[in-house]
Amino acid sequence: MPAETLVHILRDNYTEAKVRGKKSFLLERQQLYSLAEFRTQTEILGFLADGPYGPELSKLQETSSPVEVERAVRMGFARSIGNLASTAKGNVKQFLVEYRRRFEAYDLASLVLYKSQEKSWEEYVGNRLPLGLMNEKELHRLYSVEDLEALASEVGDKDLQSRLSGLELDGLTPDKASLIRDIFTGWGEERFYIFITRKLRGRDKESCLPIIGSSIDLVNLSIILRSKLIGISNIQDHIVPVRWKLSKKAVDQLVSSEDLSAALDRSATLPYYRKLLSGARQRYEETKSLSFIEVLVRKHMIDLSREILLGFPYTIGVELAFLVLKENEARNLAAVVSGVGAGLKPDQIRPLVAV
Amino acid sequence: MLDQPIVWASLGISLAVFLSVIGAALGISIAAPAIAAAGTERPEIVSKSLIATILAEALAIYGLVVGLLSIFKLPAAGAAALSDASGFRLFFGGTIMGIAAIAAGFGIGTSGGALASATAEKPELFSRAVVPLILAEALAIYAFVAALLLVLQA
Repeated sequence: MPAETLVHILRDNYTEAKVRGKKSFLLERQQLYSLAEFRTQTEILGFLADGPYGPELSKLQETSSPVEVERAVRMGFARSIGNLASTAKGNVKQFLVEYRRRFEAYDLASLVLYKSQEKSWEEYVGNRLPLGLMNEKELHRLYSVEDLEALASEVGDKDLQSRLSGLELDGLTPDKASLIRDIFTGWGEERFYIFITRKLRGRDKESCLPIIGSSIDLVNLSIILRSKLIGISNIQDHIVPVRWKLSKKAVDQLVSSEDLSAALDRSATLPYYRKLLSGARQRYEETKSLSFIEVLVRKHMIDLSREILLGFPYTIGVELAFLVLKENEARNLAAVVSGVGAGLKPDQIRPLVAV
Repeated sequence: MLDQPIVWASLGISLAVFLSVIGAALGISIAAPAIAAAGTERPEIVSKSLIATILAEALAIYGLVVGLLSIFKLPAAGAAALSDASGFRLFFGGTIMGIAAIAAGFGIGTSGGALASATAEKPELFSRAVVPLILAEALAIYAFVAALLLVLQA
């Protein structure tokens, strides 16, 4: 029996049983669709009150805004991760710390978006998920930095700095903002990938790689497609220099595509992602937006996570798979709450939900 | 000293009790954290899942029974000395019980932990997920029967 399996059996069984228990409370597809049918936020709160988000949602009032409900859901997610981290030991604990480090990238990405929309620090910090390891004082200092490259420099990462070169905060269009978000996300995923490939071994590493590898590939794909949409020429400078199933040749071909439509067509022929991205061009032409990619990525991650959870039980992949499902659930709930809050019809909300 | 049958018999008794206790401790220490963790998410399954720790504890009892029966076979002070054959029977009876208890303890611990995890995820799985646990316990029962036969023939 490999040493890491024995370690999971003898040391990590507490955390792994906890994960299995928490997983049983994840919302099913039908429950999420039922939530989209509700017409008021109060009905949604009533439905969720007995579940894992109960402690956070019970603090809300009937007059709470959708933003406050979203925040409560995200806080519930953060509590769940914190709860797991507090019980974990050794490799699993380190893994959860690195998982939380990914949220630094999300923090920075949303910081840039908030700044570009000229929103206040208070609004930003009020909506921030308390999972990133960067403290508020540090983030406050970064909030006053006016230049993207300088921001990356303050974070102390030369790679990120070079990937953001040529991009400005002023006059940020929604597509450019999404591109910057993807660059930050890719940077966070790259750090997590490096941790997994260098620090984990055997089945732990094998079980985590499909999720994190696909995540980086799809972030890169998203960066390429958005760059094509915006008309950026130095695309290679922005992408994450890590590959999993997206080969260098495939990246080069995508980058050298004539335009966005050609790149979308080519993405539908990528060996590993063919099934996922089939019909990508049609979807883009129907919606005139690349936001469908985000839902596709989440669906792909859900499929991978379910596969891992059905497989060999004594790996860190089980924890990662659960975290992916939990994170996705929190996003789905946030989408449903804001959709219902905005008065959208169930048919309009369902495409926003990845199940 | 090793040519004395009483030494082998005493060693067998010690191993039966000592190794069985280690097996029981191993089973409990592997299964109990998983049961406790599953209980934090689904308190209603704790009492059912405790079967793993009870079965692990039974391993120590098997060892104790083999040990006690072996002690009764030892000659009293001033009585005729133990034969070589009896000494070895008591030694191997105890050793079989002890080693089997360690193996069964590991099996009970891992399958008990898995039972707790599976039941925490899907409580309706309990009646099926408990089968491997019982089969792991059966391994110790085989050794217990063999050890009893050896001890009773001594």
